[in-house]
Amino acid sequence: MKILKRILGIGLALFVAALFLFPLLWVVLASFKTKLELLAVPPVFIFKPTLQNYINAFRSDFPMQVRNSLIIAASSTVISIILGSLTAYGFSRYSIKSSDFLQFWILSLRMLPAIAVVVPFYLVFRALKLLDTHIALILVYCLTNISFAVWVMKGFFDEIPLELEEAAMLDGYSPPQVFLRVALPLARAGLATTTIFCLIQSLNEFLLAVSLTTRVAETAPVGLSKVQTLMGVDWGLLSAASVIFMIPIIIFTIIVRNELVRGMSFGRMK
Amino acid sequence: MSQEAIVSQRAGPATAVEAAAGLRDIWWRRILFVPTIGLLILLAIVPLIFSLGVSLFNYSLGSRAIWVGLRNYINLFTDPQFWLATRITVQFTVVAVSIEVVLGILFGFVMNQRFTGMSVIRLIVFLPMMLAPFVVGLFWRFMFDQTFGIVDYLLTQLGLPAIPWLIHPFWARVAVVIVDVWQWTPFVTLLVLAGLGTVPTDLLEAATLDRASNWMKFRQIYWPYLRFPLLLALLFRSIDTLKMFDLPFILTGGGPGNYTSTLSILGYRQQIMFFNVGMAAAISWVVVIIINIVTNILVRLITPAKAEQVHTGL
Repeated sequence: MKILKRILGIGLALFVAALFLFPLLWVVLASFKTKLELLAVPPVFIFKPTLQNYINAFRSDFPMQVRNSLIIAASSTVISIILGSLTAYGFSRYSIKSSDFLQFWILSLRMLPAIAVVVPFYLVFRALKLLDTHIALILVYCLTNISFAVWVMKGFFDEIPLELEEAAMLDGYSPPQVFLRVALPLARAGLATTTIFCLIQSLNEFLLAVSLTTRVAETAPVGLSKVQTLMGVDWGLLSAASVIFMIPIIIFTIIVRNELVRGMSFGRMK
Repeated sequence: MSQEAIVSQRAGPATAVEAAAGLRDIWWRRILFVPTIGLLILLAIVPLIFSLGVSLFNYSLGSRAIWVGLRNYINLFTDPQFWLATRITVQFTVVAVSIEVVLGILFGFVMNQRFTGMSVIRLIVFLPMMLAPFVVGLFWRFMFDQTFGIVDYLLTQLGLPAIPWLIHPFWARVAVVIVDVWQWTPFVTLLVLAGLGTVPTDLLEAATLDRASNWMKFRQIYWPYLRFPLLLALLFRSIDTLKMFDLPFILTGGGPGNYTSTLSILGYRQQIMFFNVGMAAAISWVVVIIINIVTNILVRLITPAKAEQVHTGL
Protein backbone atom coordinates (compact mmCIF):
# COMPACT_ATOMS: atom_id res chain seq x y z
CA MET A 1 0.00 0.00 0.00
CA LYS A 2 2.75 2.39 0.99
CA ILE A 3 4.82 1.40 -2.04
CA LEU A 4 1.81 1.86 -4.30
CA LYS A 5 1.31 5.37 -2.93
CA ARG A 6 4.97 6.11 -3.50
CA ILE A 7 4.88 4.92 -7.12
CA LEU A 8 1.73 6.96 -7.70
CA GLY A 9 3.48 10.04 -6.27
CA ILE A 10 6.55 9.60 -8.46
CA GLY A 11 4.33 8.98 -11.49
CA LEU A 12 2.42 12.21 -10.79
CA ALA A 13 5.64 14.19 -10.43
CA LEU A 14 6.92 12.85 -13.75
CA PHE A 15 3.59 13.66 -15.41
CA VAL A 16 3.68 17.25 -14.13
CA ALA A 17 7.27 17.65 -15.31
CA ALA A 18 6.30 16.32 -18.75
CA LEU A 19 3.50 18.90 -19.04
CA PHE A 20 5.99 21.71 -18.55
CA LEU A 21 8.82 20.14 -20.52
CA PHE A 22 6.98 19.15 -23.70
CA PRO A 23 6.49 22.64 -25.22
CA LEU A 24 10.14 23.44 -24.52
CA LEU A 25 11.32 20.24 -26.18
CA TRP A 26 9.08 20.97 -29.14
CA VAL A 27 10.79 24.36 -29.73
CA VAL A 28 14.23 22.77 -29.43
CA LEU A 29 13.19 20.14 -31.99
CA ALA A 30 11.72 22.84 -34.25
CA SER A 31 14.99 24.77 -34.18
CA PHE A 32 16.75 21.84 -35.91
CA LYS A 33 14.14 21.41 -38.66
CA THR A 34 14.13 22.65 -42.24
CA LYS A 35 11.34 24.92 -43.48
CA LEU A 36 9.52 21.99 -45.06
CA GLU A 37 9.71 19.85 -41.94
CA LEU A 38 8.49 22.75 -39.80
CA LEU A 39 5.28 23.08 -41.77
CA ALA A 40 4.77 19.36 -42.36
CA VAL A 41 1.32 17.89 -41.75
CA PRO A 42 1.24 15.76 -39.65
CA PRO A 43 4.14 17.14 -37.56
CA VAL A 44 7.37 15.13 -37.89
CA PHE A 45 9.11 13.76 -34.82
CA ILE A 46 12.04 12.04 -36.50
CA PHE A 47 14.15 13.92 -39.05
CA LYS A 48 17.73 14.72 -40.00
CA PRO A 49 18.70 17.75 -37.87
CA THR A 50 20.07 20.86 -39.58
CA LEU A 51 22.06 23.71 -38.05
CA GLN A 52 20.95 26.16 -40.74
CA ASN A 53 18.55 28.00 -38.41
CA TYR A 54 21.30 28.62 -35.86
CA ILE A 55 23.67 29.81 -38.60
CA ASN A 56 20.96 32.22 -39.82
CA ALA A 57 20.34 33.47 -36.28
CA PHE A 58 24.04 34.15 -35.71
CA ARG A 59 24.31 36.00 -39.02
CA SER A 60 21.38 38.30 -38.17
CA ASP A 61 21.28 41.16 -35.65
CA PHE A 62 20.25 38.70 -32.99
CA PRO A 63 23.66 38.26 -31.23
CA MET A 64 23.87 42.04 -30.86
CA GLN A 65 20.34 42.14 -29.44
CA VAL A 66 21.17 39.43 -26.93
CA ARG A 67 24.25 41.42 -25.95
CA ASN A 68 22.08 44.51 -25.43
CA SER A 69 19.66 42.50 -23.31
CA LEU A 70 22.45 41.14 -21.14
CA ILE A 71 24.13 44.55 -20.65
CA ILE A 72 20.85 46.23 -19.73
CA ALA A 73 19.66 43.44 -17.43
CA ALA A 74 23.02 43.09 -15.63
CA SER A 75 23.47 46.84 -15.06
CA SER A 76 19.94 47.37 -13.85
CA THR A 77 20.19 44.35 -11.54
CA VAL A 78 23.48 45.52 -9.97
CA ILE A 79 22.14 49.03 -9.30
CA SER A 80 18.88 47.65 -7.91
CA ILE A 81 20.58 45.12 -5.63
CA ILE A 82 22.88 47.78 -4.14
CA LEU A 83 20.21 50.44 -3.58
CA GLY A 84 17.53 47.88 -2.66
CA SER A 85 19.62 46.13 0.00
CA LEU A 86 20.65 49.43 1.57
CA THR A 87 17.08 50.65 1.87
CA ALA A 88 15.70 47.27 2.94
CA TYR A 89 18.30 47.21 5.71
CA GLY A 90 17.30 50.74 6.67
CA PHE A 91 13.62 49.80 6.94
CA SER A 92 14.50 46.70 8.91
CA ARG A 93 16.80 48.34 11.49
CA TYR A 94 15.82 51.98 11.89
CA SER A 95 12.43 53.47 12.54
CA ILE A 96 12.02 56.46 10.30
CA LYS A 97 9.11 58.82 9.82
CA SER A 98 6.17 57.31 7.84
CA SER A 99 8.08 54.08 7.37
CA ASP A 100 4.92 52.03 6.71
CA PHE A 101 3.70 54.43 4.08
CA LEU A 102 7.08 54.48 2.31
CA GLN A 103 7.28 50.69 2.34
CA PHE A 104 3.83 50.32 0.85
CA TRP A 105 4.61 52.98 -1.73
CA ILE A 106 7.77 51.17 -2.80
CA LEU A 107 5.93 47.85 -3.05
CA SER A 108 3.20 49.48 -5.11
CA LEU A 109 5.81 50.53 -7.69
CA ARG A 110 6.33 46.86 -8.50
CA MET A 111 2.64 46.82 -9.43
CA LEU A 112 2.82 49.89 -11.67
CA PRO A 113 1.74 48.89 -15.20
CA ALA A 114 4.36 49.58 -17.86
CA ILE A 115 1.63 51.08 -20.05
CA ALA A 116 1.21 53.90 -17.50
CA VAL A 117 4.81 55.11 -17.65
CA VAL A 118 5.67 54.38 -21.25
CA VAL A 119 4.30 57.64 -22.70
CA PRO A 120 6.05 60.01 -20.28
CA PHE A 121 9.28 58.02 -20.45
CA TYR A 122 9.19 58.21 -24.22
CA LEU A 123 8.73 61.99 -24.19
CA VAL A 124 11.33 62.60 -21.46
CA PHE A 125 13.97 60.37 -23.03
CA ARG A 126 13.31 61.93 -26.43
CA ALA A 127 13.92 65.37 -24.92
CA LEU A 128 17.14 64.13 -23.25
CA LYS A 129 18.25 62.43 -26.49
CA LEU A 130 18.36 59.11 -24.62
CA LEU A 131 15.94 57.18 -26.81
CA ASP A 132 17.44 53.95 -28.14
CA THR A 133 20.24 53.88 -25.54
CA HIS A 134 21.11 51.31 -22.89
CA ILE A 135 20.88 53.95 -20.14
CA ALA A 136 17.18 54.60 -20.78
CA LEU A 137 16.15 50.98 -20.30
CA ILE A 138 18.58 50.43 -17.40
CA LEU A 139 16.96 53.33 -15.51
CA VAL A 140 13.42 52.28 -16.37
CA TYR A 141 13.99 48.70 -15.22
CA CYS A 142 15.42 49.99 -11.91
CA LEU A 143 11.89 51.09 -11.05
CA THR A 144 10.41 47.59 -10.73
CA ASN A 145 13.70 45.95 -9.75
CA ILE A 146 14.51 48.23 -6.80
CA SER A 147 10.97 47.87 -5.52
CA PHE A 148 11.22 44.08 -5.67
CA ALA A 149 14.71 44.09 -4.11
CA VAL A 150 13.67 46.25 -1.14
CA TRP A 151 10.72 44.05 -0.49
CA VAL A 152 12.47 40.64 -0.64
CA MET A 153 15.62 41.78 1.17
CA LYS A 154 13.65 43.33 4.02
CA GLY A 155 12.14 39.93 4.76
CA PHE A 156 15.63 38.46 5.03
CA PHE A 157 17.09 41.25 7.18
CA ASP A 158 14.10 40.94 9.54
CA GLU A 159 15.00 37.30 10.19
CA ILE A 160 18.61 38.02 11.24
CA PRO A 161 18.97 37.93 15.06
CA LEU A 162 19.86 41.39 16.37
CA GLU A 163 22.26 39.87 18.91
CA LEU A 164 24.69 39.00 16.11
CA GLU A 165 24.85 42.61 14.97
CA GLU A 166 25.12 43.96 18.50
CA ALA A 167 28.04 41.63 19.16
CA ALA A 168 29.76 42.96 16.04
CA MET A 169 29.16 46.53 17.24
CA LEU A 170 30.81 45.70 20.56
CA ASP A 171 33.77 44.37 18.60
CA GLY A 172 34.16 47.87 17.20
CA TYR A 173 32.42 47.49 13.82
CA SER A 174 30.84 50.68 12.50
CA PRO A 175 27.23 50.46 11.25
CA PRO A 176 28.30 50.24 7.58
CA GLN A 177 30.74 47.47 8.49
CA VAL A 178 28.01 45.58 10.34
CA PHE A 179 25.85 45.82 7.23
CA LEU A 180 28.56 44.67 4.84
CA ARG A 181 30.24 41.98 6.94
CA VAL A 182 27.41 40.62 9.08
CA ALA A 183 23.98 41.33 7.62
CA LEU A 184 24.63 40.92 3.89
CA PRO A 185 26.45 37.57 4.13
CA LEU A 186 23.59 36.23 6.29
CA ALA A 187 21.07 37.29 3.66
CA ARG A 188 22.80 35.37 0.83
CA ALA A 189 19.71 33.41 -0.18
CA GLY A 190 17.80 36.67 -0.45
CA LEU A 191 20.49 38.16 -2.67
CA ALA A 192 20.36 35.11 -4.95
CA THR A 193 16.57 35.25 -5.25
CA THR A 194 16.54 38.99 -5.84
CA THR A 195 19.26 38.71 -8.47
CA ILE A 196 17.50 36.04 -10.49
CA PHE A 197 14.12 37.75 -10.42
CA CYS A 198 15.58 41.15 -11.35
CA LEU A 199 17.57 39.55 -14.18
CA ILE A 200 14.66 37.66 -15.69
CA GLN A 201 12.33 40.62 -15.26
CA SER A 202 14.70 42.87 -17.23
CA LEU A 203 15.69 40.26 -19.81
CA ASN A 204 12.07 39.40 -20.55
CA GLU A 205 10.37 42.81 -20.55
CA PHE A 206 8.81 43.75 -23.87
CA LEU A 207 6.44 46.74 -23.81
CA LEU A 208 8.94 49.35 -22.57
CA ALA A 209 11.75 47.88 -24.64
CA VAL A 210 9.75 48.02 -27.85
CA SER A 211 8.66 51.60 -27.15
CA LEU A 212 12.01 53.06 -26.06
CA THR A 213 14.44 51.39 -28.46
CA THR A 214 14.50 51.37 -32.24
CA ARG A 215 17.73 49.76 -33.46
CA VAL A 216 20.99 50.31 -31.59
CA ALA A 217 19.83 49.33 -28.10
CA GLU A 218 17.15 46.87 -29.23
CA THR A 219 16.75 43.93 -26.84
CA ALA A 220 16.28 40.30 -27.85
CA PRO A 221 12.45 40.11 -27.46
CA VAL A 222 12.09 43.29 -29.54
CA GLY A 223 14.35 41.82 -32.20
CA LEU A 224 12.27 38.65 -32.27
CA SER A 225 9.09 40.67 -32.70
CA LYS A 226 10.55 42.31 -35.80
CA VAL A 227 11.76 39.07 -37.39
CA GLN A 228 8.17 38.04 -37.37
CA THR A 229 6.75 41.14 -39.05
CA LEU A 230 9.41 41.83 -41.68
CA MET A 231 9.99 38.42 -43.25
CA GLY A 232 6.68 36.67 -42.72
CA VAL A 233 7.06 34.01 -40.07
CA ASP A 234 10.39 32.18 -40.25
CA TRP A 235 9.63 29.64 -37.55
CA GLY A 236 13.03 27.95 -37.85
CA LEU A 237 14.94 31.16 -37.19
CA LEU A 238 12.55 32.15 -34.40
CA SER A 239 12.90 28.76 -32.66
CA ALA A 240 16.69 28.84 -32.92
CA ALA A 241 16.78 32.41 -31.60
CA SER A 242 14.38 31.51 -28.76
CA VAL A 243 16.59 28.57 -27.79
CA ILE A 244 19.73 30.76 -27.81
CA PHE A 245 17.96 33.35 -25.65
CA MET A 246 16.74 30.68 -23.21
CA ILE A 247 20.23 29.24 -22.62
CA PRO A 248 21.62 31.94 -20.28
CA ILE A 249 18.38 31.90 -18.30
CA ILE A 250 18.39 28.10 -17.97
CA ILE A 251 22.05 28.08 -16.85
CA PHE A 252 21.30 30.72 -14.26
CA THR A 253 18.26 28.79 -13.02
CA ILE A 254 20.40 25.66 -12.60
CA ILE A 255 22.94 27.63 -10.55
CA VAL A 256 20.44 29.17 -8.13
CA ARG A 257 17.80 26.40 -8.06
CA ASN A 258 18.49 25.49 -4.44
CA GLU A 259 18.36 29.07 -3.22
CA LEU A 260 15.14 29.68 -5.12
CA VAL A 261 12.69 27.87 -2.83
CA ARG A 262 14.52 29.05 0.27
CA GLY A 263 14.55 32.57 -1.08
CA MET A 264 10.79 32.60 -1.56
CA SER A 265 10.29 31.68 2.10
CA PHE A 266 11.91 35.03 3.00
CA GLY A 267 14.51 33.55 5.29
CA ARG A 268 12.03 31.50 7.33
CA MET A 269 13.10 28.16 5.89
CA LYS A 270 16.37 27.07 7.43
CA MET B 1 21.50 47.01 15.96
CA SER B 2 18.55 47.64 18.23
CA GLN B 3 16.67 50.84 18.74
CA GLU B 4 18.24 51.32 22.18
CA ALA B 5 21.70 51.02 20.73
CA ILE B 6 21.04 53.87 18.37
CA VAL B 7 19.44 56.01 21.04
CA SER B 8 22.26 55.46 23.55
CA GLN B 9 24.75 56.26 20.88
CA ARG B 10 23.02 59.51 20.04
CA ALA B 11 22.03 60.73 23.52
CA GLY B 12 24.60 63.18 24.82
CA PRO B 13 27.92 62.53 23.14
CA ALA B 14 30.45 62.77 25.96
CA THR B 15 33.56 62.91 23.83
CA ALA B 16 34.51 64.20 20.40
CA VAL B 17 34.85 60.60 19.22
CA GLU B 18 31.28 59.83 20.18
CA ALA B 19 30.05 63.01 18.54
CA ALA B 20 31.80 61.97 15.36
CA ALA B 21 30.16 58.54 15.63
CA GLY B 22 26.72 60.21 15.97
CA LEU B 23 27.35 62.29 12.89
CA ARG B 24 28.52 59.25 10.98
CA ASP B 25 25.31 57.51 11.99
CA ILE B 26 23.20 60.27 10.50
CA TRP B 27 25.17 60.09 7.28
CA TRP B 28 24.80 56.31 7.24
CA ARG B 29 21.04 56.65 7.48
CA ARG B 30 21.03 59.13 4.63
CA ILE B 31 22.98 56.70 2.47
CA LEU B 32 20.45 53.98 3.30
CA PHE B 33 17.39 55.92 2.21
CA VAL B 34 18.05 59.05 0.18
CA PRO B 35 19.50 57.66 -3.10
CA THR B 36 16.82 54.98 -3.45
CA ILE B 37 13.87 57.15 -2.62
CA GLY B 38 15.22 60.00 -4.73
CA LEU B 39 15.64 57.75 -7.74
CA LEU B 40 12.22 56.18 -7.29
CA ILE B 41 10.50 59.56 -7.06
CA LEU B 42 12.28 60.64 -10.24
CA LEU B 43 11.35 57.43 -12.04
CA ALA B 44 7.79 56.97 -10.81
CA ILE B 45 6.15 60.14 -9.48
CA VAL B 46 7.36 62.45 -12.21
CA PRO B 47 6.14 60.28 -15.13
CA LEU B 48 2.83 59.58 -13.39
CA ILE B 49 2.06 63.24 -12.80
CA PHE B 50 3.13 63.92 -16.36
CA SER B 51 0.80 61.26 -17.75
CA LEU B 52 -2.07 62.50 -15.58
CA GLY B 53 -1.50 65.90 -17.15
CA VAL B 54 -1.29 64.53 -20.70
CA SER B 55 -4.54 62.62 -20.20
CA LEU B 56 -6.33 65.99 -19.93
CA PHE B 57 -5.13 67.10 -23.35
CA ASN B 58 -5.92 66.11 -26.89
CA TYR B 59 -2.31 65.45 -27.72
CA SER B 60 -0.81 63.54 -30.63
CA LEU B 61 2.93 63.23 -31.08
CA GLY B 62 4.09 65.94 -33.47
CA SER B 63 1.10 68.24 -33.06
CA ARG B 64 0.11 70.88 -30.50
CA ALA B 65 -1.61 69.79 -27.32
CA ILE B 66 -5.15 71.10 -26.82
CA TRP B 67 -6.73 71.22 -23.38
CA VAL B 68 -9.85 69.04 -23.33
CA GLY B 69 -10.39 68.48 -19.61
CA LEU B 70 -12.07 65.17 -18.93
CA ARG B 71 -13.08 64.65 -22.57
CA ASN B 72 -10.62 61.73 -23.03
CA TYR B 73 -12.15 59.97 -20.04
CA ILE B 74 -15.73 60.64 -21.19
CA ASN B 75 -14.92 59.31 -24.67
CA LEU B 76 -13.30 56.29 -23.07
CA PHE B 77 -16.25 55.45 -20.81
CA THR B 78 -18.71 55.71 -23.69
CA ASP B 79 -16.59 53.50 -25.97
CA PRO B 80 -17.81 49.87 -26.16
CA GLN B 81 -14.23 48.83 -27.07
CA PHE B 82 -13.09 50.02 -23.67
CA TRP B 83 -15.76 48.04 -21.83
CA LEU B 84 -14.95 44.94 -23.88
CA ALA B 85 -11.24 45.31 -23.04
CA THR B 86 -12.06 45.80 -19.35
CA ARG B 87 -14.31 42.71 -19.33
CA ILE B 88 -11.65 40.63 -21.08
CA THR B 89 -8.87 41.80 -18.76
CA VAL B 90 -10.95 40.91 -15.70
CA GLN B 91 -11.97 37.58 -17.26
CA PHE B 92 -8.35 36.61 -17.94
CA THR B 93 -7.37 37.57 -14.41
CA VAL B 94 -10.14 35.72 -12.60
CA VAL B 95 -10.01 32.55 -14.71
CA ALA B 96 -6.23 32.24 -15.15
CA VAL B 97 -5.30 33.12 -11.58
CA SER B 98 -7.88 30.74 -10.04
CA ILE B 99 -6.59 27.85 -12.15
CA GLU B 100 -2.99 28.77 -11.34
CA VAL B 101 -3.64 28.82 -7.59
CA VAL B 102 -5.47 25.47 -7.55
CA LEU B 103 -2.92 23.72 -9.77
CA GLY B 104 -0.07 25.47 -7.95
CA ILE B 105 -1.17 23.98 -4.62
CA LEU B 106 -1.59 20.49 -6.13
CA PHE B 107 1.75 20.59 -7.93
CA GLY B 108 3.39 22.02 -4.81
CA PHE B 109 2.42 18.93 -2.83
CA VAL B 110 3.48 16.66 -5.71
CA MET B 111 6.89 18.39 -5.88
CA ASN B 112 7.30 18.29 -2.10
CA GLN B 113 8.00 14.52 -2.08
CA ARG B 114 11.56 13.39 -1.66
CA PHE B 115 13.20 11.00 -4.10
CA THR B 116 16.28 10.96 -6.30
CA GLY B 117 15.76 13.05 -9.38
CA MET B 118 13.29 15.39 -7.69
CA SER B 119 15.71 18.31 -7.99
CA VAL B 120 15.77 17.80 -11.77
CA ILE B 121 11.97 17.65 -11.89
CA ARG B 122 11.73 20.83 -9.82
CA LEU B 123 14.17 22.54 -12.15
CA ILE B 124 12.04 21.60 -15.17
CA VAL B 125 8.89 22.85 -13.47
CA PHE B 126 10.51 26.20 -12.58
CA LEU B 127 11.71 26.84 -16.16
CA PRO B 128 8.54 28.26 -17.79
CA MET B 129 8.30 31.24 -15.44
CA MET B 130 11.91 32.16 -16.19
CA LEU B 131 11.24 32.60 -19.90
CA ALA B 132 10.20 35.80 -21.65
CA PRO B 133 6.38 35.89 -22.01
CA PHE B 134 7.03 37.12 -25.52
CA VAL B 135 9.09 34.04 -26.42
CA VAL B 136 6.58 31.76 -24.72
CA GLY B 137 3.74 33.34 -26.71
CA LEU B 138 5.75 32.88 -29.88
CA PHE B 139 6.28 29.15 -29.58
CA TRP B 140 2.77 28.48 -28.34
CA ARG B 141 1.50 30.25 -31.42
CA PHE B 142 3.56 27.80 -33.42
CA MET B 143 2.01 24.91 -31.51
CA PHE B 144 -1.56 26.25 -31.75
CA ASP B 145 -1.36 26.69 -35.54
CA GLN B 146 -4.42 25.33 -37.33
CA THR B 147 -2.62 23.45 -40.09
CA PHE B 148 0.78 22.32 -38.80
CA GLY B 149 0.31 22.85 -35.03
CA ILE B 150 1.11 20.00 -32.65
CA VAL B 151 -1.81 20.72 -30.31
CA ASP B 152 -4.54 20.01 -32.86
CA TYR B 153 -2.53 17.03 -34.15
CA LEU B 154 -2.47 15.49 -30.67
CA LEU B 155 -6.18 16.23 -30.16
CA THR B 156 -7.13 14.47 -33.40
CA GLN B 157 -4.86 11.53 -32.53
CA LEU B 158 -6.87 11.19 -29.32
CA GLY B 159 -10.05 11.12 -31.40
CA LEU B 160 -11.09 14.64 -30.37
CA PRO B 161 -12.11 17.36 -32.83
CA ALA B 162 -9.46 19.90 -33.91
CA ILE B 163 -10.03 23.29 -32.30
CA PRO B 164 -9.75 26.63 -34.16
CA TRP B 165 -7.36 28.12 -31.57
CA LEU B 166 -6.41 31.77 -32.07
CA ILE B 167 -9.06 32.51 -34.71
CA HIS B 168 -12.26 31.81 -32.78
CA PRO B 169 -13.35 34.47 -30.22
CA PHE B 170 -13.90 31.90 -27.47
CA TRP B 171 -11.00 29.52 -28.17
CA ALA B 172 -8.54 32.39 -28.60
CA ARG B 173 -9.31 33.44 -25.04
CA VAL B 174 -8.96 29.84 -23.87
CA ALA B 175 -5.58 29.70 -25.61
CA VAL B 176 -4.36 32.84 -23.81
CA VAL B 177 -5.48 31.35 -20.47
CA ILE B 178 -3.79 28.00 -21.23
CA VAL B 179 -0.46 29.66 -22.01
CA ASP B 180 -0.65 31.95 -18.97
CA VAL B 181 -1.43 28.93 -16.78
CA TRP B 182 1.44 26.95 -18.33
CA GLN B 183 3.89 29.77 -17.69
CA TRP B 184 2.80 30.95 -14.24
CA THR B 185 1.50 27.92 -12.33
CA PRO B 186 5.21 27.21 -11.60
CA PHE B 187 5.41 30.54 -9.75
CA VAL B 188 2.55 29.54 -7.43
CA THR B 189 4.14 26.09 -7.04
CA LEU B 190 7.41 27.74 -6.04
CA LEU B 191 5.72 29.84 -3.35
CA VAL B 192 3.75 26.80 -2.09
CA LEU B 193 6.99 24.79 -1.86
CA ALA B 194 8.61 27.63 0.09
CA GLY B 195 5.60 27.62 2.46
CA LEU B 196 5.69 23.83 2.86
CA GLY B 197 9.39 24.12 3.70
CA THR B 198 8.53 26.17 6.78
CA VAL B 199 6.14 23.59 8.30
CA PRO B 200 7.88 22.18 11.41
CA THR B 201 8.60 18.46 10.99
CA ASP B 202 7.51 17.56 14.53
CA LEU B 203 4.02 18.85 13.73
CA LEU B 204 3.84 16.51 10.72
CA GLU B 205 5.12 13.55 12.71
CA ALA B 206 2.52 14.15 15.40
CA ALA B 207 -0.22 14.24 12.77
CA THR B 208 1.01 10.99 11.22
CA LEU B 209 0.97 9.31 14.64
CA ASP B 210 -2.56 10.61 15.26
CA ARG B 211 -3.62 9.14 11.88
CA ALA B 212 -5.17 12.47 10.94
CA SER B 213 -7.14 12.47 7.68
CA ASN B 214 -5.59 14.20 4.67
CA TRP B 215 -8.10 17.03 4.81
CA MET B 216 -7.50 17.54 8.54
CA LYS B 217 -3.77 17.59 7.91
CA PHE B 218 -4.15 20.17 5.16
CA ARG B 219 -6.50 22.39 7.16
CA GLN B 220 -4.80 22.17 10.54
CA ILE B 221 -1.12 21.80 9.71
CA TYR B 222 -0.31 23.01 6.21
CA TRP B 223 -2.85 25.82 5.80
CA PRO B 224 -1.44 28.22 8.42
CA TYR B 225 1.92 28.03 6.64
CA LEU B 226 0.43 28.28 3.15
CA ARG B 227 -1.88 31.25 3.75
CA PHE B 228 0.84 33.89 3.49
CA PRO B 229 2.67 32.51 0.42
CA LEU B 230 -0.66 31.93 -1.35
CA LEU B 231 -1.81 35.49 -0.73
CA LEU B 232 1.51 36.68 -2.13
CA ALA B 233 1.00 34.49 -5.19
CA LEU B 234 -2.51 35.88 -5.56
CA LEU B 235 -1.21 39.45 -5.31
CA PHE B 236 1.57 39.09 -7.86
CA ARG B 237 -0.42 36.98 -10.30
CA SER B 238 -3.55 39.18 -10.23
CA ILE B 239 -1.56 42.35 -10.79
CA ASP B 240 0.53 40.86 -13.57
CA THR B 241 -2.55 39.50 -15.36
CA LEU B 242 -4.39 42.80 -14.98
CA LYS B 243 -1.59 44.49 -16.89
CA MET B 244 -1.09 41.59 -19.32
CA PHE B 245 0.29 42.71 -22.66
CA ASP B 246 2.99 40.53 -24.27
CA LEU B 247 1.13 37.25 -24.36
CA PRO B 248 -2.07 38.17 -26.24
CA PHE B 249 -0.07 40.69 -28.29
CA ILE B 250 2.12 37.96 -29.77
CA LEU B 251 -0.35 35.07 -29.61
CA THR B 252 -3.35 36.68 -31.30
CA GLY B 253 -2.46 40.34 -31.77
CA GLY B 254 -5.52 41.12 -29.66
CA GLY B 255 -7.89 39.44 -32.13
CA PRO B 256 -10.02 37.92 -33.40
CA GLY B 257 -12.25 41.01 -33.40
CA ASN B 258 -10.58 42.44 -30.25
CA TYR B 259 -11.68 39.43 -28.23
CA THR B 260 -8.25 39.07 -26.63
CA SER B 261 -7.47 42.81 -26.40
CA THR B 262 -6.57 43.66 -22.81
CA LEU B 263 -6.55 47.23 -21.49
CA SER B 264 -2.78 47.39 -21.98
CA ILE B 265 -3.14 46.39 -25.62
CA LEU B 266 -5.88 49.00 -26.09
CA GLY B 267 -3.58 51.70 -24.65
CA TYR B 268 -0.63 50.58 -26.74
CA ARG B 269 -2.71 50.76 -29.92
CA GLN B 270 -3.94 54.28 -29.17
CA GLN B 271 -0.37 55.35 -28.73
CA ILE B 272 1.57 53.49 -31.40
CA MET B 273 -1.04 53.15 -34.14
CA PHE B 274 -3.05 56.33 -33.66
CA PHE B 275 -0.36 58.44 -31.89
CA ASN B 276 -3.14 59.51 -29.56
CA VAL B 277 -1.00 60.05 -26.47
CA GLY B 278 -3.70 61.78 -24.42
CA MET B 279 -6.13 58.88 -24.83
CA ALA B 280 -3.38 56.31 -24.14
CA ALA B 281 -2.58 58.12 -20.90
CA ALA B 282 -6.26 58.10 -19.91
CA ILE B 283 -6.47 54.32 -20.49
CA SER B 284 -3.29 53.76 -18.50
CA TRP B 285 -4.75 55.71 -15.59
CA VAL B 286 -7.77 53.42 -15.54
CA VAL B 287 -5.36 50.45 -15.31
CA VAL B 288 -3.42 52.16 -12.51
CA ILE B 289 -6.60 52.74 -10.51
CA ILE B 290 -7.90 49.16 -10.93
CA ILE B 291 -4.52 47.76 -9.91
CA ASN B 292 -4.32 50.09 -6.93
CA ILE B 293 -7.69 48.92 -5.63
CA VAL B 294 -6.75 45.24 -5.99
CA THR B 295 -3.33 45.80 -4.40
CA ASN B 296 -4.88 47.62 -1.46
CA ILE B 297 -7.37 44.84 -0.78
CA LEU B 298 -4.78 42.07 -1.05
CA VAL B 299 -2.10 43.82 0.99
CA ARG B 300 -4.67 44.38 3.73
CA LEU B 301 -5.34 40.63 3.72
CA ILE B 302 -1.63 39.83 3.67
CA THR B 303 -0.48 41.97 6.58
CA PRO B 304 -2.48 40.09 9.25
CA ALA B 305 -1.55 36.78 7.59
CA LYS B 306 2.10 37.62 7.96
CA ALA B 307 1.67 38.75 11.57
CA GLU B 308 -0.24 35.55 12.31
CA GLN B 309 2.52 33.42 10.87
CA VAL B 310 5.12 35.19 12.98
CA HIS B 311 2.83 34.64 15.94
CA THR B 312 2.69 30.87 15.37
CA GLY B 313 6.31 30.76 16.44
CA LEU B 314 8.27 31.45 13.30
